[in-house]
Amino acid sequence: MSLKKYVVRRIGQLIVTYWAFLTLLFVVFRLAPGDPTSMYLQEGLSAEEREAILARHGLDQPLHIQYVEYMTQYLTGDLGQSFRHGVPVWDVLVVRFFNTIILMGLAFAIAYLIGVTVGAFIGWVRGTRKEKTGIVVTLIARSSPEFWIGILLLMVFTFYLGWFPSGGIRPPGTEYETFLGRYLNWGVAYHLVLPVLTGVIYYMATPTLLMRSSMINVLNSDFIQIKKAEGIPEYIILYKHAARNSILPMTTVVALVVGMSIGGSLVIETVFSWPGMGREMVESVTYNDYPLAQAIFFLMGSLVIWMNFVADLAYVYLDPRVRYD
Amino acid sequence: MLELTDVHVEYEMEGDGSVHAVNGVSISLEENKILGLIGESGSGKSTLAKAIIRLLAKNGHVPEGAIEYKETDLTELSDREFRTEIRWDEISMVPQNAMNGFDPVYTVGNQIVQAIRTHEDVSKGEARERARALFEQLGIDPGRIDDYPHQFSGGMAQRAMIALALALDPSLIIADEPTTALDVVIQDRILQTLRDLQQEIESSVILITHDISVVSDICDEIAVMYGGRVVEHADVETIIKEPRHPYTLGLRNAFPDIEEDDQDLISIPGTPPDLVEPPEGCGFAPRCPFATDECWDVTPEPEEYGDGHVVECHRADEQELLTEEAKRKETWMDLETEPQQVAEEADD
Repeated sequence: MSLKKYVVRRIGQLIVTYWAFLTLLFVVFRLAPGDPTSMYLQEGLSAEEREAILARHGLDQPLHIQYVEYMTQYLTGDLGQSFRHGVPVWDVLVVRFFNTIILMGLAFAIAYLIGVTVGAFIGWVRGTRKEKTGIVVTLIARSSPEFWIGILLLMVFTFYLGWFPSGGIRPPGTEYETFLGRYLNWGVAYHLVLPVLTGVIYYMATPTLLMRSSMINVLNSDFIQIKKAEGIPEYIILYKHAARNSILPMTTVVALVVGMSIGGSLVIETVFSWPGMGREMVESVTYNDYPLAQAIFFLMGSLVIWMNFVADLAYVYLDPRVRYD
Repeated sequence: MLELTDVHVEYEMEGDGSVHAVNGVSISLEENKILGLIGESGSGKSTLAKAIIRLLAKNGHVPEGAIEYKETDLTELSDREFRTEIRWDEISMVPQNAMNGFDPVYTVGNQIVQAIRTHEDVSKGEARERARALFEQLGIDPGRIDDYPHQFSGGMAQRAMIALALALDPSLIIADEPTTALDVVIQDRILQTLRDLQQEIESSVILITHDISVVSDICDEIAVMYGGRVVEHADVETIIKEPRHPYTLGLRNAFPDIEEDDQDLISIPGTPPDLVEPPEGCGFAPRCPFATDECWDVTPEPEEYGDGHVVECHRADEQELLTEEAKRKETWMDLETEPQQVAEEADD
């Protein structure tokens, strides 16, 4: 199969996945109990007032009309109005979405960079003391809950040493004009250190352990022996052949774990009072703010779908065998 | 050119003890010859080959013996010297399954170029030209050097592997069952190609196999291994027509001869010996229909029977009797139960 055909087929799959995902999202929110008015019923909301509110949001329409309406809106990039804030959902989310992406993206990139390197190394030195130490340290990191790591870091670096701020995203009272300016400054970098470190410690273990077992598999292959017999220096065999082949299964895992970690950002955001999407998600669900919650789920799901798409395309470049399957 | 003297190879096992996979092998190989190394699984043939090119698993080592190659003892070289001076430049290898012998994520041509440029200071273009020439020599379309290994058929991959092994004109090629994964017709053609090229570039080959019919076609000499020792070594004619060791006689029985009709295939009963604690006496004694008390107690020394025919057997001088007896099926059937016991003890 040619490369072009593969990409076209993969885009087709992407569209179908999106349709299924959007439909599922629609169904889940219609099945969920309550509506935007149920929070206020006990405050003496009259039946007529309730009807009026529902009508304003289009919730009095039959389901299939709602479905078509919902699909058209999402396809045109309109995520709807927040019940609670009374403003477009996008206005509420845009800042928080990028806050989360900055935090988790950074944590993730560093965690995988370190994880893959360390994993490749401890796979290479299999059977030595270094490998055992590496595994023990990794397992400790793997078994520590995020909130606990976060609190520990806060205790040491904020309360004892006073090196880093205890929370927030930038020093209070600072204003920035441009979008990039909001993030590219020392204040944000300074606030990022501890939450990112928490994420790195927590998310590092999976790639480390995976890379290690993947390496051990590859190192048993005949071609590694041949490369050694060819007299190629060990370090070249390590990175050009062993690590290069071991990284293949990692790409798929990255795509899956990214989605999970965006959901898991809630814990880090709470510990470090980070104004991100995770916290907004919990609040919007608590207040029955369905358009907002729906949009957050949509963004998180989209991230997983797109990461998988990117991973599949990356695979084509990483593994020549995929192109001809 | 290659001279092994009393080579031992041990694998350290977890817990205690070690496996004596090779137990004192002395053998020499002249230039421009093909030596067939035959024996059943666990006889130490692959281990011996790996010891020569220093690719033993981490727990394996050579505690005793000398591996002399062109007047240098290979066991004395440092890892670095061995890597830069011996590997591929002097000694290359062809693995059992060529499909797995290439890194799947690089093109075959790339990998040949890499091998050449690791040892020689030539430009990429020059190395590529040489790779193309090698392909041509092995009967592969040179246009395919930019293909990935998985795009090759099994036979073609094996040819490409041989091309890789020849890339630096080595003096010795170790081929570890290079055709086992292929069908008989392709197997034959590839072995012929190997033979032709070997004569063209005047290198020596050690061909490891468990298939006596494979080696008889293209080898000059055959060494039969059993229990980590070379029990019989001679030129091909002698091994096929006038073997002296009962194990070789037994091996010959296990493969049919096309020219003779009405013959039973007779297998050798029992299992290979325990290599953790090799017992006193001849390693083959428990499975040998001709074993005497002497065989059980005293390890036989290699003895020469004319023109480089070396045999390790106390009864090697009774060639006629053994040959006659070995042809009868009954000879191999009424063995004592000894071998089973040995095998059980090994399991404990």
